[in-house]
Amino acid sequence: MKLGPKAAAAALVLSASLALTACGGGGAGAGSTAAGGKTVTALTLGTLRDIANWDPAQAHVGHALQPYQAAYDSLILREPDGKLSPMLATEWKYNDANTKLTVDLRTDVTFSDGAKFDAEAAKANLDHFKKANGPQMAQLASVSDVAVVDADTIDINLSAAEPALEYFLSQAAGLMGSPKALGTDAIKTEPVGSGPYVMDKAATVKDSQTVFNARKDYWNKDLQKYQKLTLKILTDPTARTNALVSGQIDATLLDPKNGKQAEGAKMKLETNQVDWSGLLLLDRDGTKNPALADLKVRQAINYAFDRKTILDQVMLGQGTPTSQPFGKDSGAWTEELENYYSYDPAKAKQLLKESGFEGNVTIDVPTLPGAETLISVLQQQLADVGITLKPGAAITNTFTSDVAAQKYHALFFNLFQGEPTVAIDQIVSTKALYNPFKNTTPELEAKIQAVRTGGEDAGKLAQDVNKYVVEQAWFAPLFRVNQMYYHNDKVNVTPQAQQAVPSIYNYSPAK
Amino acid sequence: MIRFIAKRLGSGLVVLFVVSALTFTLLYTSSGSIARNILGDQATPEQVALKEQELGLDQPLVGRYFTWLADALGGDLGASWFTSEPVANSLATRIPVTMTMVFAAMILIAICATLIGVAAAVKRGWVDRVVQVGAILGDSIPGYVIGVFLVTLLAIQLGFFPATSTISPGVGAEAWVYSMTLPVIALLINGVTGGAQQIRSAVIKQLERDYVRTLRSRGIGEREILFKHVLRSAAPAGLTVLSLQLIGMLGGVVIIEQIFALPGMGPLAVTATGQTDLPVVMGVVMYTVVVVITVNLLVDILNGWLNPKVRVS
Repeated sequence: MKLGPKAAAAALVLSASLALTACGGGGAGAGSTAAGGKTVTALTLGTLRDIANWDPAQAHVGHALQPYQAAYDSLILREPDGKLSPMLATEWKYNDANTKLTVDLRTDVTFSDGAKFDAEAAKANLDHFKKANGPQMAQLASVSDVAVVDADTIDINLSAAEPALEYFLSQAAGLMGSPKALGTDAIKTEPVGSGPYVMDKAATVKDSQTVFNARKDYWNKDLQKYQKLTLKILTDPTARTNALVSGQIDATLLDPKNGKQAEGAKMKLETNQVDWSGLLLLDRDGTKNPALADLKVRQAINYAFDRKTILDQVMLGQGTPTSQPFGKDSGAWTEELENYYSYDPAKAKQLLKESGFEGNVTIDVPTLPGAETLISVLQQQLADVGITLKPGAAITNTFTSDVAAQKYHALFFNLFQGEPTVAIDQIVSTKALYNPFKNTTPELEAKIQAVRTGGEDAGKLAQDVNKYVVEQAWFAPLFRVNQMYYHNDKVNVTPQAQQAVPSIYNYSPAK
Repeated sequence: MIRFIAKRLGSGLVVLFVVSALTFTLLYTSSGSIARNILGDQATPEQVALKEQELGLDQPLVGRYFTWLADALGGDLGASWFTSEPVANSLATRIPVTMTMVFAAMILIAICATLIGVAAAVKRGWVDRVVQVGAILGDSIPGYVIGVFLVTLLAIQLGFFPATSTISPGVGAEAWVYSMTLPVIALLINGVTGGAQQIRSAVIKQLERDYVRTLRSRGIGEREILFKHVLRSAAPAGLTVLSLQLIGMLGGVVIIEQIFALPGMGPLAVTATGQTDLPVVMGVVMYTVVVVITVNLLVDILNGWLNPKVRVS
């Protein structure tokens, strides 16, 4: 019986494999009814990536904030339209010089580990955020110290005015974790906050899904609309589309291409403009590419693009052509700058001629993954006016350090359109990563300074900064991109200003 | 046989050591400013310097490697720079998902490829031609295209299977089987067609050998010749092909896991590489090397068992 041992070996492998297959088994499946038989209202969202670290000091902004909002309350709540409302802070007020923010706090809130929220806890969080070296540490860079006034009041003292501080307190810097858990290793993998939901650690798998259950006796039932919340991590856009269309998730962010399939399956679309796409002409002093120092060359690049056609053909029309890098929600946006550079190849050629660089302009750009088609269209349109665009190597994981090291003298990129000072510190000021050659002028510095000390007028004052960078053709913006958020009819979703993905509070069960 | 296995194990360990040292050196000397990647685009140069210090990136490379090696020998592969999750934990939760899928696919490939290959070699004629055409078709359609097709048809249109993974802690075996079926099919089609083709060639080669003619002349039945002698002699070639397929599958599985959102090694590898999360990348590389070494070792042992000449050489 020669085949005996081999057959036995095969059987062994097969049974081992079956045992492995079953090794996740045992417990009950995720039911749709709670222990008492009451129907569980559950929300399952498809998210683009898992968060790195549950320590609130390592949180990020905008749409990356969503998972933290489930577990942590923030001092200030940001409404869908961008208006700031009370949350753990009931009131806040600046002194006359805009250098001290006095914040009144709630006194009826506890964290999921039983610790009490008070002024000491708020101070502990802000201090922790300042020294934890997280990705958004810059949010509290202007804070010199936090003083406890009484059990429910703190003073946040600033070294310089920061008009975006209240916004930051509705973002990463405002998230409040239990003072008992801050700085421990445990909080990195399991959040301890006062938020509407508590993580179900047993059901959570890193990079696969994060499961939350509603917290009993949460102080603000209006913000807690579901009994169970699952964030399913679906990196691949096709997987997100499939999961949505087949009913595994209730809502997710898609792109124009996959959106068509979702629309075919009768999913509802919420659009929202958060990013702008275009060229960043970084080497404005001509350190590495002399042609870019000439304003006429930079303007010629702007006149060379037929933005509407590019948008229609490449992005299936999902966006709005624009000449300005500041967003509509920032207050810095103006109608007059929207079409400042119209499509005018003749004018582009004329400007190049006047600049003396005619036939002698070559721009190298790294290739953004997924933007290959768009870049080749830009290459064609620039070639039509006599400018050579040379797409280089793909953007790699050393991208940010390469930008900082002045490796690129121009870039094609999608960038967030944030609050005025946030946007300025991202693309305009001399400390901005996307101003690696640290270009500036006294005139621009004065305009930026006016925004920083402008308090409530910051947005309006930033219009001058916007106008300056558009006139000086610092960039060649193409369009504001539509973020396409799709959901099924079981859930109502309100888009959130300046976020690709809505805040966790913006979902509710459809009636 | 024990000496044979010991020798193979020893050389496997040497390979593991060399690969770990080389990978560590290459990764840690050519990955740009990792600290900036961790902190994001708003970070100041001071923050970046502080982070580099926290991660020990200011220490000499050789010292860091031996610290890593000593920890790794004790089962500690370090912790992710981005999530602080111990690398060993990350691997422990993901390897079962990937290996279940790979093993299930391999067993099915072995069975189907052998049956089809032998049928083609023995019957020849139209069966053989169908297998040949199938091999070309199977080789030319990438697994992920098959995956997307299967999802569209069987998951979305017909609703037989979930479109993306439903595997999570506490779910029963049923969820695993449902979640794994489509990815396994997507993975195995290339393997079956390719494997069948190789096994067919190996069997034909054996059937043309003199010993088969001798056996036939002695009046021994075709079935006995095939199963007792030919298959045994053709097995090494088949095993080698299957082992190469298994190793090749480690790459294909990355894409399949992305499409089906399976919480296996694929997403971990993609995320860690994209972020330059070096402790995790090292863990993924070590896992891959261990799998490759183990597969080769098993094939050597199986070959040695089937064919004693291999042991001697």
